[in-house]
Amino acid sequence: MNPHKDHPATPIAMFTSLWRNRQLVWQMARRDISSRYRGSVIGLAWSFINPILMLLVYTFVFSVIFKARWNTGGNESKTDFAIILFAGMIVFNLFAEIVNRAPSLITSNANYVKKVVFPLEILPWVALGSALFHTAISLFVLLFVQFILHLSLPWTGIFFPLALLPLIFASMGFAWFLSALGVFVRDIGQVTGIFITILMFMSAVFYPISALPEQYQSLLRLNPLVLIITESRKSLVLGELPDWISMVIALLASLAIAFAGFWWFQKVRKGFADVI
Amino acid sequence: MSSSDIAIKVEHLSKVYLMYERPADRLRQFIYPRLQRLISKQPKTYFHEFWALRDVSFEVKRGETIGIIGRNGSGKSTLLQLICGTLTPAGGSVQTNGRVAALLELGSGFNPEFTGRENVYMNGAVLGLSTEEIDARFDEIAAFADIGEFIEQPIKTYSSGMIVRLAFAVIAHVDADILVIDEALAVGDAFFTQKCMRFLRAFMKTGTILFVSHDTGSVKNLCNRVIWLEKGQILREGSPKEVCELYLQAFYEAQQGKGTSTKLKILKAHNNSRPLKDQRLDFINASNLRNDLQIFKFDPDAVSFGKGGAQINNVELLDQNGSPLSWVVGGEQVTLRIIAKAHEALDAPIIGFYITDRLGQTLFGDNTYLSYMDNPLFCEPGNEIEATFSFFMPILLPGDYSITASIANGTQAVHVQHHWMHDAVVFKSESSSASTGLIGIPMQHIELEINHPST
Repeated sequence: MNPHKDHPATPIAMFTSLWRNRQLVWQMARRDISSRYRGSVIGLAWSFINPILMLLVYTFVFSVIFKARWNTGGNESKTDFAIILFAGMIVFNLFAEIVNRAPSLITSNANYVKKVVFPLEILPWVALGSALFHTAISLFVLLFVQFILHLSLPWTGIFFPLALLPLIFASMGFAWFLSALGVFVRDIGQVTGIFITILMFMSAVFYPISALPEQYQSLLRLNPLVLIITESRKSLVLGELPDWISMVIALLASLAIAFAGFWWFQKVRKGFADVI
Repeated sequence: MSSSDIAIKVEHLSKVYLMYERPADRLRQFIYPRLQRLISKQPKTYFHEFWALRDVSFEVKRGETIGIIGRNGSGKSTLLQLICGTLTPAGGSVQTNGRVAALLELGSGFNPEFTGRENVYMNGAVLGLSTEEIDARFDEIAAFADIGEFIEQPIKTYSSGMIVRLAFAVIAHVDADILVIDEALAVGDAFFTQKCMRFLRAFMKTGTILFVSHDTGSVKNLCNRVIWLEKGQILREGSPKEVCELYLQAFYEAQQGKGTSTKLKILKAHNNSRPLKDQRLDFINASNLRNDLQIFKFDPDAVSFGKGGAQINNVELLDQNGSPLSWVVGGEQVTLRIIAKAHEALDAPIIGFYITDRLGQTLFGDNTYLSYMDNPLFCEPGNEIEATFSFFMPILLPGDYSITASIANGTQAVHVQHHWMHDAVVFKSESSSASTGLIGIPMQHIELEINHPST
């Protein structure tokens, strides 16, 4: 590794850097997860308790207080709404966690910028790894509860990773973009929090998109998260097959976002050490 | 010469920092000049430039050990960071051949939340070692760092000495071709410093070292060549002894020029045109027991105070023949001469001096009072008074020393201080034969005898 070469900004470099530094990414992601619960008494169990509590709260608030219905047809039980909601929540949280952390990824690791020649471009991968861990646990809780209630699971669940893939690439693209921008413009960290909250309500997490008036439906569909969340619900809960064409388009688009973010990151990273 | 003999090649290297007064100016600079160019107006700049490094070129051959000296802010650390690749140059280029391991300041890329063990693995991975390779070396690294159970604790609980120990232990075990070391060794204790020095000496046989230190002693000790940086440029490059001596001289000259308390204005600096004699010449053969004291010239602007009725114009050390010395050898006879000028009539002038070490402890001193107590000299305004003290210069431990001189009028107990001059002459002692104590005195006779018990 020659530290004086330019950082490659090709789409291939995006993946080769991940492969070359896989051990580092793995170690750092593991560390990242365990450090979150360090010092707490029950430790990693919190990662289970959190999603279970959230699921209980959703069930109570939406099914008991609001008496909300998803209109899936048939005899919808009280818990069904919460499960559908939770499925969307899992997907949205993955995106939210990565994007929320992105602006401080570089600035909180000043040592890696100034003291060693560190493959900084892997930091978003590390954030992804730790976010995916929490997604996996929530997913496990979701499937477990579904199985308890219905004694069966939709077989289409195997397509869920496929629905997640475009989200992962798009999140990475944003993470690269925001983490680099966050070094130069510290205000970014303030903006993303608000942005994420707004986006949550715009992503049809709490309601089926069909519940909206016609003219808003098409507007909301412009948000790619709506597609991802809808597809995830179909595969995880409703037992429907994915919309293949949309998924392929989404995948290609997300790869483009990822690459654009990576390109930007590699171009501006030279200035990190001057500013941090 | 083939290019593979060169470990580091630095060509016309420059680094400029754009200094913004407000964070918002950075944004303005990003946007406004582009707009101004669009409407073909002269673009305005919102920053001022700070050149940390300007047009620096040098080459380091494989196996060389290069020292870099310079004052704080002279660009040493910037240069090292550019060579390591953590900073990007504004102009010029750096080439390195081989694996570079750096110990930049404290901590060297440790994550404070992680344990020592985890950081060793991460640092090793960053430097290009696989987990298996680090597994194989971990015990050696832990043994070298020698921080006991702390290896399993987060780095944030470490003392600064422990961090350096661990950081050095890592870079010592990654098979680096080029080591870059920045002032870090000063933090470790004596035992660890010794261990590092032993390692560096072994490493020097095959590898290349770039060594930054304020301690000219260790630079002279380790390096083949020294580069002196000043204001981001190479001021001098050459043999360690030559460059370090010039550096020290400049350092003291600059330091002594900075006295700030009450100053007496010097009317006429004493003409010091006689050549300085190097007393060492007579002692070249007595090599390793020699105690070299390098003397810097009298500093008329040194910090001083006093009533101003008289003024010290010159303080110098002379050899037995009366020629001024630039070097003294501890244990030799020298004469300290203090010349003052009276501005008013003095009926009982006293001139005195003392010598302090770097901590400000007075080592010894004397004055003319007792010798002239019974028949004081009378000095009219405008006269020059010259006091000479002949003594054997004690052997001084390595370090910085200074001579404080003063002229007063009266008696030892009751007198008017006319001019008191701190650090009128500063000198430095290098290698020393004194084994212990504040000073060593020349031994006239040392003998070891074994008395057999009579049978």
